[in-house]
Amino acid sequence: MKVLSEAFQIIQKKDHKYKLTTLNYESAFPIIALVGKRIQHIFEGASSLKKKQLLSTVAVLGLAMSMAAGCGSNNGNNEGTPASNNKADNAAATNTADNAAATNTATEEPAAPKIAGKVVFTTNRTDLVDTELKTYADKFHEKYPDATVEIEAIKDYDQTTKIRMASNELADISLIPGTVKNSDLPNFYLPVDDLGLNDRIYFKDNRSQDGKLYGISSGSAAMGVTYNKKAFAAAGITAVPKTLDEFYADAEKLKAAGITPLATNFKDKWPLYGWDQEAFIYAGDPMLHNTMATQDEPFAVDGPHWQAFSILKKMVDSGYVEKDLMSTNWEGSKKDVASGKIAMFLLGNWVVPQVVDNGAAAEDVGFFPLPLDNSGEAKVILASDYYYGIDKNSENPDTAKAFLKFLIEESGYDDYAGFIPVLKDKQPKLAQLNEFMATNPKVIEMAAENDDYLAIANKMQFDTSAFAQDAIMGKDMKEVFASYNKKWKDAKAALVK
Amino acid sequence: MFAMSYKVQRYVILFSFLTVPLLLLAVFSFYPAIYLAWLSFTSWDGYSPEKAWVGFNNYKEIFTNADIFSVFSHNVVYFMGGIVQNILALFFAVLLNSRLRGRNTFRVLLFLPYILNSVAIAYMFTYVYDAQNGSLNALLTSIGLESWIKSWLGDAGIVNYSLAFISMWKFMGFNMVIYLGALQSIPGDLYEAAKIDGAGPFKSFLYITWPSIIKIVELSMLLTVSGALEVFDLPFVMTKGGPAGASQTFVTKSVETAFNFSNYGLASAMGMVLLCIVVLVIFVQRKLILRGEE
Repeated sequence: MKVLSEAFQIIQKKDHKYKLTTLNYESAFPIIALVGKRIQHIFEGASSLKKKQLLSTVAVLGLAMSMAAGCGSNNGNNEGTPASNNKADNAAATNTADNAAATNTATEEPAAPKIAGKVVFTTNRTDLVDTELKTYADKFHEKYPDATVEIEAIKDYDQTTKIRMASNELADISLIPGTVKNSDLPNFYLPVDDLGLNDRIYFKDNRSQDGKLYGISSGSAAMGVTYNKKAFAAAGITAVPKTLDEFYADAEKLKAAGITPLATNFKDKWPLYGWDQEAFIYAGDPMLHNTMATQDEPFAVDGPHWQAFSILKKMVDSGYVEKDLMSTNWEGSKKDVASGKIAMFLLGNWVVPQVVDNGAAAEDVGFFPLPLDNSGEAKVILASDYYYGIDKNSENPDTAKAFLKFLIEESGYDDYAGFIPVLKDKQPKLAQLNEFMATNPKVIEMAAENDDYLAIANKMQFDTSAFAQDAIMGKDMKEVFASYNKKWKDAKAALVK
Repeated sequence: MFAMSYKVQRYVILFSFLTVPLLLLAVFSFYPAIYLAWLSFTSWDGYSPEKAWVGFNNYKEIFTNADIFSVFSHNVVYFMGGIVQNILALFFAVLLNSRLRGRNTFRVLLFLPYILNSVAIAYMFTYVYDAQNGSLNALLTSIGLESWIKSWLGDAGIVNYSLAFISMWKFMGFNMVIYLGALQSIPGDLYEAAKIDGAGPFKSFLYITWPSIIKIVELSMLLTVSGALEVFDLPFVMTKGGPAGASQTFVTKSVETAFNFSNYGLASAMGMVLLCIVVLVIFVQRKLILRGEE
């Protein structure tokens, strides 16, 4: 300490050069120095406040802090959202059948792999990490006592995971972020053909590359209307609408009964993704997005998107949605549908268990396909949720694969989350879904988006939900569609260059 | 150690004191900045191992794509809010510099918003602005101004003003404290002399106060301009850039470009452009502030 204080004295008193530099600083910013002193002064004045006032200050600050904490828990709102609607790639499926056969025989190892060690599983379900998911880890540990699974839930799942990918820090088992291109899969993930699931699962081609399977769907969801049966009964509706006209008529009845017919969750934007999926049904094209990638002007007036958004527009214009579209609240809307204040959602069927969780009796919640025309024919689109992938650099790949197989075959996560199981031979558990499938709707399985589509969409910053927002907010839907056509064309042209 | 010459001691002290902060600065500030500059010349998608060099394409896109550069028009609203904020701050500073009962209480009350966490403020104001149950519309109803009721965050023409008002509310106290500091540095005898010469409060403000604090005003404006260019937290938390992109700012747009549309190259270039603009603004204003002294 003595040295230090001596040195300070040297610098301050004896060394002209260093003294000068400090002086220079002060003369350059005399104002700042002055203000600093004055601020001190002002707060010395303030410190003479009475105790009571100080206390209330502290109370206000405490309130602010608890509010901040409250926000944190409020924010994990889209954890039930299927990743399916955004980006998933196609297999670029280049005649890969023989390739696949070759690798399959190559990877056949006679010795049974040892299931041991610790693996980490990352998930987007921050709401389930300490409850449902933990029981999976425990059960897996019971089955393989040498192996343990640590489950980590991540908020902002896709962003965080991509950062981990870039720094080679992927968890052993993770959900593949939607925007990862299939051509990049071999750089990050292990093929999982050797799990013997290839012939038993849906959506097999969506996360395959060069004939190898890299991602297995965690389940899929049907797009349709989730509704509160009590609200329908209160408005005097006896049967679910089969045609578009009936749908509008029922909305009118609900409105007349003082019930908000449809929760759009317009402000949060992502809950509008269903309208883009309805466009797939209008087009009758499971690869609508990929088809768009081959067109210069995919957003025609009276085209698939136009037709789908017109329904939403009509709902908004007729006042069949929330009063103020920019004050909608996703968490609150689930409670409102559960209590019957709002009657319907247009979302994947994954929302059914969430409505039940928010206080509705399971038998009061129903599900039906949105009628798109007046033909009375039911059509529905299925889209996959996140895909599981195994880290290429995992230290215990066999354990990771075993856990993946456990998740698919034994955990029951798909049932819990309200998904349609990825295994073809497994029936969905959700009663509403079975009831709905019993009506034999025409099913369209949404195909994954290919690299061409993703490239254009990223280039023009195309977000299907934002498109729906623009179409509704814009003064003239024709203009909005024209501007999207132009942007699409420009983006496509820029990529060809 | 005690046998060292003054010169050596000086260097030892200087270097030992400077190493840690410089190291921190280099690791957490300079290295990322240089890396950002490099990324802005690539088309990196955020996770791929390869980062393809694309030269100035990203910069070209920023200045040619109207969608990107036009969001600065939203930042302009914050800048205007900043000017109002400075005027109000000066007003309150002059007011609270006089002999007013309970002036310290008022000072603290006006300064408090600045201490609050901005995310907490954002949440608080979502409840104030809520169109159906919000306190602002409830207030308007109770005083008979129903016709003024608006969807404060839902109307594309209003949303930026609503947000700019919050930022004004938050930073006004901070500016006020700076102005108070400046005001208190003006010697009191000047005012006494002016009074004897028959100057009223307005004249003494115009001829004594204003010239004495003009430099502080310019400093505040500098903070205001760079603050307005870098608005992020309020639109990000409160509107996510909505409705339909009406409240996007340049920074939220960059974040979206990187994380939602996997275009880290373009987003880095946007970051660099913003950096250059801020440096330019500061440079110009510094010239203005120091113009009398050089």
